[in-house]
Amino acid sequence: MLEFQRGSRPAFEELFARYRGPLYGFFRRRLESQERAEDLAQETFLAVIRATARYEPRALVRTYLYGIALKLVAAERRKRQTSRPVAILETEPAIENASDAALWVRQALEKLDAQEREILMLREYEQLSYSEIADLLRLPVNTVRSRLFRSRMALKNYLEGRSQGAVAASGAAGSAEVNPREGEG
Amino acid sequence: MIARHPVQEEELMAYLDGELALDRAATAAAHLEKCRECQSVAGDLQSVSRKLMAWRVESPDDLRMTEAIAVVLEERGRAKEKPAARRGLGWREGLRIPRLPRWVWVGGIAVASLAILVFMSNSFFPVYESKQTPRPMTTAVLEAPAAPATTDSSAELRAGSGTGKLDTQQDKAKVSVITKSGTHSLHAEFGASEIPNRPMIVRTAGLTLITKEFDKARAAMEEILKRHGGYIGQLNVTAPADNGRTLNATLRVPGEQLEAVMSELKKLGRVQAESQSGEEVTQQYMDLEARLANAKNSERRLTDILRERTGKLSDVLEVETQIESVRGEIEQMEAERKNLVHRVDFATLSATLTEEYEGQLHAVPVSTFTRIRNSAVDGYSMLSETVVSVVLFLFSYGPVLLLWAAVLFFPVRFVWRKLRRKVPCRNLM
Repeated sequence: MLEFQRGSRPAFEELFARYRGPLYGFFRRRLESQERAEDLAQETFLAVIRATARYEPRALVRTYLYGIALKLVAAERRKRQTSRPVAILETEPAIENASDAALWVRQALEKLDAQEREILMLREYEQLSYSEIADLLRLPVNTVRSRLFRSRMALKNYLEGRSQGAVAASGAAGSAEVNPREGEG
Repeated sequence: MIARHPVQEEELMAYLDGELALDRAATAAAHLEKCRECQSVAGDLQSVSRKLMAWRVESPDDLRMTEAIAVVLEERGRAKEKPAARRGLGWREGLRIPRLPRWVWVGGIAVASLAILVFMSNSFFPVYESKQTPRPMTTAVLEAPAAPATTDSSAELRAGSGTGKLDTQQDKAKVSVITKSGTHSLHAEFGASEIPNRPMIVRTAGLTLITKEFDKARAAMEEILKRHGGYIGQLNVTAPADNGRTLNATLRVPGEQLEAVMSELKKLGRVQAESQSGEEVTQQYMDLEARLANAKNSERRLTDILRERTGKLSDVLEVETQIESVRGEIEQMEAERKNLVHRVDFATLSATLTEEYEGQLHAVPVSTFTRIRNSAVDGYSMLSETVVSVVLFLFSYGPVLLLWAAVLFFPVRFVWRKLRRKVPCRNLM
């Protein structure tokens, strides 16, 4: 990042190559539209370029990038709420070709408290450290840790309840669709 | 659980996440090996993580840099290469002058120059035009036929028509004349005791003219006066700095020439005001004549008494005194009569001639050097004023400011440090 700040284009290209995938995943899990996820990933890099002069190496580049991404997601959600309030019902992160297990995970995550969900997702999917999450969400590290634990436990309960329900349902109705995929979870 | 386990569940999770401090991590690892309960919790946590991994997102292969990013990168590269050039071009941004098309600038300048040109020509053209067509004023005056002596009523009519004529000629001069004239040459026609056979009228006229060529008009006025046998009773000329010159004159004109003089004078400029009046003095003159005749008779009788009769010295002296007083009366009355006759013979014309004022453009009233010097003096005095003001301000408010600085220093420093600690998070965007 510092090299890029000094004007090195290859440095930026490396940054782009390293983070475009994770950033796309970040947006994809939080937004329903694949196009918007791609757009916002690009926008994150644009913001990085524009704000290069102001960049100070106080945090990891990763944290910096996800900080921008979080703001973009928040802005996007705000925009959707004001412009298309009805469409919120449809604004679920679409999962094409996804397994039932993934669907359950997504539904379970939906049930979590928004902040706990964000902490959990940043930890599990973005692989951020506790302190990075604390920096991003402006929370004390201990709070992050306890909320992460709480969210994991809650998620475990949701998933267990779901799988038990599914097992019961498959056992009762003999559904052939759910059972084989249950093993993946 | 907390009582029985040396590590909390959260710490266990942190250990699994690799987020536990080294000493606690060793404890946690040792405990986890032994404690089944904790192994179960760890298993749950790991299972949740595994399950979460089921939600995979495949990033599209064609996730390339978009055009926008490439363009911005290019621009940034160029900006880095030519920082000096950018600074050179920055004056527009600095002055906040919007980028307008060239034709707007050219058109604006053209319109502005045209406006200035029109304005200049408007203010200077009329003067130029009048200079180009000078009217033969003196000639006109000289050629003007002498108006015949008439009665006052006809004179007034003529004056009116004269005014109209002048207006059409658009003269730019003004003369005012007040004439006192009586019936003409009456004194020549009847003797000391004769009764006048025509009414005696003291005529007074006033004329106010505005002229553009003051000197010429004044010379012409004097020439007219000379030609008609008149004279200047009184004359005042004033020339104020920021106004046109003004001539106030009392002209004495032979009564029968008044009409002619008036009509000629009116050609000298634009008539602003004109007035004529006549005062019938025939009765006054006749009274005077009768009293004079009586006085002369008394004088004659007294002289006879003195010559033919003899008496006491006191009586003689008394008669002498009577004769003296009667002679004094006679002399007075004769002077009065002469004056009256003169007033009838010579009309009084009060003329006012005003120069049409043209504003003068004082091109460079003060020399450039003087102006520079004045500006420098102003600048110096302003500088010293400012310095004095600053010093005064510091003296009057300094102590209070120091006090406030001392009071606010620690809270501000505290807030500043707190803010600085938060900066890393804030700088994320």
